[in-house]
Amino acid sequence: MLSFQNTKCECGHQNPVGTVLCESCGKPLEEAEAASTAPLEMRYDGAARRSQKTNPSIIDRVWNFFSSVKIAVWLIVITLIASMIGTIFTQESAFISFDPDTYYEEKYGWIGKLYYELGFSHTYETWWFTTLIVMIATSLVVCSLDRVLPLYKALSKQQVRKHVQFLKRQRTVYEGAVVGDAEEWVAEVEQQLKRKRYKVKREGTALLAEKNRFSRWGPYINHIGLIVFLLAVLLRSVPGWAMDSYLAIREGETLQIPETNYYLKNEKFTLDYYADDELPDELKGIPRPKLYQTDAILYECTADCDDPLKEPVLEEVSQHGIIVNDPMAYGGLKIYQFGYDDTPKLAAVKPVLVDKTTGKTYGPFELSMRNPQLNYELGPYTLELHSKYLDFAMDEKGEPRTKSDEPNAPAFIFMLKGPGLAEDGEPYMYFPRQIDKEKFSQDAINGDLANRFEIKVPSMEGVTFAGTVSTLNIRTEMAMPYIWTGTAIWIFGVFLGSYWHHRRIWLRIDEGRVLLGAHTNKNFHGMRADVASVLKKTGIDVEPKSLDNGGNRA
Amino acid sequence: MGKYRKTTQIVILIGVLLLGGYAIGKALFASDDGGLPKIGEKPPEFALLGEDQEAHKLSDYEGKALVINFWGTFCPPCVIETPEFQRQYEKWTSMGKPFEIIGINLGEDSLTVRNFVQQYGLTYEMLYDKGRKIMAKYGVESFPTTFFVKPDGTIMDIFVGGMTEEDIDKRVTKLLQS
Repeated sequence: MLSFQNTKCECGHQNPVGTVLCESCGKPLEEAEAASTAPLEMRYDGAARRSQKTNPSIIDRVWNFFSSVKIAVWLIVITLIASMIGTIFTQESAFISFDPDTYYEEKYGWIGKLYYELGFSHTYETWWFTTLIVMIATSLVVCSLDRVLPLYKALSKQQVRKHVQFLKRQRTVYEGAVVGDAEEWVAEVEQQLKRKRYKVKREGTALLAEKNRFSRWGPYINHIGLIVFLLAVLLRSVPGWAMDSYLAIREGETLQIPETNYYLKNEKFTLDYYADDELPDELKGIPRPKLYQTDAILYECTADCDDPLKEPVLEEVSQHGIIVNDPMAYGGLKIYQFGYDDTPKLAAVKPVLVDKTTGKTYGPFELSMRNPQLNYELGPYTLELHSKYLDFAMDEKGEPRTKSDEPNAPAFIFMLKGPGLAEDGEPYMYFPRQIDKEKFSQDAINGDLANRFEIKVPSMEGVTFAGTVSTLNIRTEMAMPYIWTGTAIWIFGVFLGSYWHHRRIWLRIDEGRVLLGAHTNKNFHGMRADVASVLKKTGIDVEPKSLDNGGNRA
Repeated sequence: MGKYRKTTQIVILIGVLLLGGYAIGKALFASDDGGLPKIGEKPPEFALLGEDQEAHKLSDYEGKALVINFWGTFCPPCVIETPEFQRQYEKWTSMGKPFEIIGINLGEDSLTVRNFVQQYGLTYEMLYDKGRKIMAKYGVESFPTTFFVKPDGTIMDIFVGGMTEEDIDKRVTKLLQS
């Protein structure tokens, strides 16, 4: 890239390899730049990038790769395209539970299958996307460092008297005769510039005026912000720093929050619907939830947490009525209301035993679906629970089994013992739900015993349903303060760079003629207006437009 | 000045290698996060209550060829494969081999499990996974799922779905050879 070149300027200054404009007098050094007459390339004040060398080592080569803005732009473009591809179909992370193996093909056809197989269904979590981000971050650090240090040096040791070529080839240039005494005129210009809040340095009849230099650091500050942001995002992958999981808790239940020492109890779930008179006509009659709230208690396990022989010792640490957008917050943990399932499921029934021959009833007794007692004393009779099936079905061999572990079709087999019954008892099958009783013909199964005894629920009062299942989203975001810090630094840098402009004016007087050049990194109209106004106040009347030396280079 | 520049470059590039390597490595292996443990790894430790009312830990079985079967009475393929496991258990233990089968029940109550054990005459260890915590720890998402663990405590194979006796026999033979 760089051939050997003589880097000593005619002013006597020895410049580093890659210098575009002499560090001291500003004379264009680079061949192409020196041969041209167009306005100068003023980037980084013409200073050499830090890593430019005649004889680069492997480390230098790696460094130079990341130091290239061209490479940085390509990295950003590739990342942007990849990010766009990631938005075509729903990402896997948007689902709580589904089978990605079949989902994408079923929903989107062959293109969905391809999308899934290429890994775009989790674009932002792939190794290559992370690699791109890491490369961009490296490029940010290397590019900034390579440019900010030379720029800082160049700006802090500026020469007041610049080379004629340097001045003539600025985008804003004025040449003309001096009005009156040169020294006096320059002193007057200095006063006028100072009134415009320029900082002025004067060496005889040469002058340098400058303002808002700090705005040059804006881009580098915003890069620091981005780096802090990316490091904070990286912190999220440290175990315990970020969590996003879901917990379905039935009313009254207490469950452990996975991967934590916390337990959560769904104390009470409230579900309110809009009344018909609160709804517009087209929605009347359709149940629309107005409020769903989980009154939750958070416990911390203090002892016996992993001992299967003991119940964990829980200590209450927080209580909150969780509604949408009003989560429970405790110790970095946030628990949001996500959804609910209010499909009625039997929790317990209170049946009685009826002796059909005498018409006497015994009981009632409490029969829980999930945790039933094994023995029930009912007058002269006893019921021994022999087996239970929560979701009763028959398999191919005619054996009873359960289809699921939800009480959709509960069935119980009791051994009934007592007067007039066999010594070991006689089996009686009981379906608490009337519909199951008919479907599976309970009376036929029980045969002769069905003519003598019946277990039944006398009234609906004896039936309790399990509470609503509330689905909660449990999140931890420990990295958030750092993400905000990074964002704040970034926006501060953007403000510095966007709302202030670095403006510089050089002038020198040779043989009664003034040569003025001015430079800014943005808003050249403002720059020319400043120059024209100062000249006007010192006796030289020029149109701001006439100062334009053409070119659109920074 | 030149020396400092070199040091800065090396420090920054090492930092990039460390942090970037960590991030990329995390992404490379994250695709399996939450999924099943990998073959060759040690399965996660557990302590569970057994049908015998005692606590059972995974480490108790070290040095033995071990089959860990996640099951429930509500899952038909689990019910079908259970007698096959029982036969295998009888076959290898009667030959005096250092071999154990653990059935981890997925959160059902003891009445259900006990009845099932009696119905099928099961003699291998049955453990209760209350709240299905160990299931989640093992990344098991469909039932049955069976882990074959070598005597050195590493996973030889993971089988998702119902198994025939032949399926089990092949793997146990290999387990006992290792």
